[in-house]
Amino acid sequence: MTTRTAVAERITVIDSAVATSACAVSLRRVTKSYGERTAVRELNLDIASGEFFSLLGPSGCGKTTTLRMVGGFVDPSYGEVSLHGKDVTDLPPNRRDVNTVFQSYALFDHLSVWENVAFGLRRRRVGKTEMTRRVGEMLELVQLTGRDKDKPSALSGGQRQRVALARALVNRPSVLLLDEPLAALDLKLRKAMQVELKRIQREVGITFVFVTHDQDEALTMSDRIAVMSEGRVHQCGTPEDIYERPSTRFVAEFIGTANLMSGSYTGTGIELPGGVPLYTGRLDGCSIGDEVAIAVRPEKMWLSDLTPDMVQTDGILKATVYGGATTTYLFEIAPGVEVSVLEQNLHSARTEERWADGERVRIGWHAKHSLAPLT
Amino acid sequence: MTTLVAAERELAAPQAPPAGRRKGSGMNRKPRFAIAVTVAFFVLLYLPIFAVVLFSFNTKKSLTVFEGWSLRWYQAFFNDSELTKSLQTSLVVAAAAMVGSVVIGVLLAFGLVRARSRLGGAANVIMLIPLITPEIVTGVASLMLFKGVGLQPSLTTLMLAQTTFSISYVTVILRARVAELNPEVEEAAMDLGANRFQALRLVTLPVMWPAIMSAAILIFTIVFDDFVLAFFTSGVDPQPLSVRIYSAIRFGIQPSINAVGTLMLVGSLVLIAIALLIPRLFGRRGNSFDLFGG
Amino acid sequence: MTHESLPPRPARKERLWTWMLVPGTAWMSVFFVSALLLLIALSFGTTDALGNPRFGSTLDNVIGVFTPTYLRVIIRSLTYAVAASVICLVIAYPVAYAIARHGGRYKNALVALLVVPFFANYLVRMYGWQTLLSDESMLMTWLRHLGVSASFHILDTGAAVIGGLVYGYVVFMILPIYASLERMDGALIEAGRDLYGSSLRTFFTVTVPASRAGAYAGLALVFLPAMGDFISSQLLGGPDNLMVGNLIQEKFFAGQNWPLGAALTMALMVLLLICMFAYLRQTARDAKEARR
Repeated sequence: MTTRTAVAERITVIDSAVATSACAVSLRRVTKSYGERTAVRELNLDIASGEFFSLLGPSGCGKTTTLRMVGGFVDPSYGEVSLHGKDVTDLPPNRRDVNTVFQSYALFDHLSVWENVAFGLRRRRVGKTEMTRRVGEMLELVQLTGRDKDKPSALSGGQRQRVALARALVNRPSVLLLDEPLAALDLKLRKAMQVELKRIQREVGITFVFVTHDQDEALTMSDRIAVMSEGRVHQCGTPEDIYERPSTRFVAEFIGTANLMSGSYTGTGIELPGGVPLYTGRLDGCSIGDEVAIAVRPEKMWLSDLTPDMVQTDGILKATVYGGATTTYLFEIAPGVEVSVLEQNLHSARTEERWADGERVRIGWHAKHSLAPLT
Repeated sequence: MTTLVAAERELAAPQAPPAGRRKGSGMNRKPRFAIAVTVAFFVLLYLPIFAVVLFSFNTKKSLTVFEGWSLRWYQAFFNDSELTKSLQTSLVVAAAAMVGSVVIGVLLAFGLVRARSRLGGAANVIMLIPLITPEIVTGVASLMLFKGVGLQPSLTTLMLAQTTFSISYVTVILRARVAELNPEVEEAAMDLGANRFQALRLVTLPVMWPAIMSAAILIFTIVFDDFVLAFFTSGVDPQPLSVRIYSAIRFGIQPSINAVGTLMLVGSLVLIAIALLIPRLFGRRGNSFDLFGG
Repeated sequence: MTHESLPPRPARKERLWTWMLVPGTAWMSVFFVSALLLLIALSFGTTDALGNPRFGSTLDNVIGVFTPTYLRVIIRSLTYAVAASVICLVIAYPVAYAIARHGGRYKNALVALLVVPFFANYLVRMYGWQTLLSDESMLMTWLRHLGVSASFHILDTGAAVIGGLVYGYVVFMILPIYASLERMDGALIEAGRDLYGSSLRTFFTVTVPASRAGAYAGLALVFLPAMGDFISSQLLGGPDNLMVGNLIQEKFFAGQNWPLGAALTMALMVLLLICMFAYLRQTARDAKEARR
């Protein structure tokens, strides 16, 4: 009934900042169906050379399938995959200038670390001296120089991951595909490897296409992120774009936390359940009576030093959750509508709570931080 | 705050034993009946084997009274050219069936696990039927087939029949192993520049090799020992060992049967031991009894 | 927006695996399936004057299967096979239970010991029993000393045949039941004991139902081959204890009536298929109940 001009069909997202032929990876209307089920729907993506590009989304969203189509392990049902302007859709994996780091690492258990890393070079019949030099360089890059004669079974998870990385990188591919490579590592190791991977990518200058379901990982490592769900890209942009300016409700909720407030548009704001008015000011593209939703991130909400230009509302304190560096307060601002507010603990722990449960507190935020309107 | 301190105090206190636990109840009590049955069972299981082995060393011809120790029956066996020819025949047939069934079985195993066509379903059924068919039926049917095309029962027909039956065994064993393989390993090889065949040769087969060897040795033993199928599909000359033993038993001839039986037992044991040890020697994780689907 | 209107790409299908199926399927079709079909066809055949089998379209052989003599043999086979299966079941449970739940670290060694004899030649083992149980053996002499009557024989009885069948196939009952029991959660048995007190009751109400799958597998693995066995009855049973297998063997070798032999073999197959069917239905029903 109404047109939402701000909400375009996110199916055809072509990043205008990137010219097509300079792209390391280009996907045009790439689709993959398994019988009745469609895993990837008409995907369009352009990944620039030298970018650290992430495919982010929940399980089953199609990110791994997309990656595998770039690698050549899965045939698209429709569409085109191009590498550096060349159509590779019909080429098998061994003829594409792409290498992959698999989620299970897929190391060759019957070969030594050295042989694992040298595998690709052997297939290309690289000369012995050059092979030795390049493998040595790569082992040094991933800090595994002393372990070249060991078998993969003798290595730890983190070390195996690095062998997988070295094995792929030694071939100097123009694009490196990584399928949730850090998922199996414990937290500390994962954090360390994230830094390592970023460093290596910067040093080597290769385009990385990185699949993950961990949004923190994507936000910290990527130059650009494509947020996917149910086979579609919802939004493609820099981490800051995705976080501060999510274009769909899914993105707003998937990345970070967002306080969702929905109701019918009154012209000056939203009427929340229970008739509670929220004066957000005019919202573009909405007519009075429409169901609208806005979202505000918890850290953008203020509980003190409120200014008159802020959007304000009252909330009843439901719970206080202490989190070390921060404290989260849960408020009910309307029947059934809860918001959480995140504050830095700038002062040391107080001996009494600021407010007691059930107290009425004023909450405010700047209108520019309202993520609205959302589909 | 006080609740926290109280909780800490409770955890530090020595745990009182749970009330009402009867002494010696539950899993600790040994089921005497079951153990007695098991012991008796093992005794009976090995009784005829001991008898055969024992009497193979008997000095006298008698099968009922043990007189003394002698190797005469073993000598008789090795001197009997007919018997040694039968032994040779059995070995050759087992080897042929082993090679044929492993080659076809490996292909079939991969096909069954990875092919996405309808042929897979049909192949699966065709492969499984021999396993539920009593050997006598397979034997009779095979005989029908050979006679039907004009082939007299001979060494060739025996080898063909044994290979057929063995394919089912080998495929079932290897299929489980193929299903366990990580498909990403082959993909990695291709990602690094190998084509599908190179990937299989360089990366998949080396990993499968212990399982293939075990299956091969297992099938060798099974075919070597087999009687029913051999009975129906082998010719008069040369006869495999198991058929010759059968004739000897039926017509109550020499006790060198005991010697032959003992030799076959020892031979089979050695082969089985090798088959079980191979996965372990090649450093595969897991219980080598996985072969038996335990 | 929808892509139904898009033309699908010609799929670069991986046909390699399907091709791998071809040698095996071809072989089995030629050497097994066609063999079975020939067998069925010959059941409707005849023998000519020289005793050679000929294809035909007579029902004589099929009807011949139902004559009283043959029927008696078929029923006897069924009886023996069923008896052997039940006895195997009764033996297998205590043995499997003892090894699975009280074998400790000797579990694998015990299973190995269990399996080893079955790699000795079947014939030789039966021959061993024949020697042990014959009238002149040490066992019988000893029994006669104890006063057992001279007309007591072990060999040449139905019991001997059943015993032989049990001996030959019991391991195939023990292994699946062992596998089921080993996987069973010990807590179930303990809970059962707490509830029921007596360990015998626990056994029947908790352990047996939980290891049903193994028992069914074992029954199939024993009953089917036992029905077709002819060695046991030949070596241990004598002329009064013929089973279907013996009949079939005789028709193909001594009696030279191949079509009748084929018909008998067919009858055996059909009988077994019926049993398999019933068995599969029972296990499917059980699985459905377990899921509820």
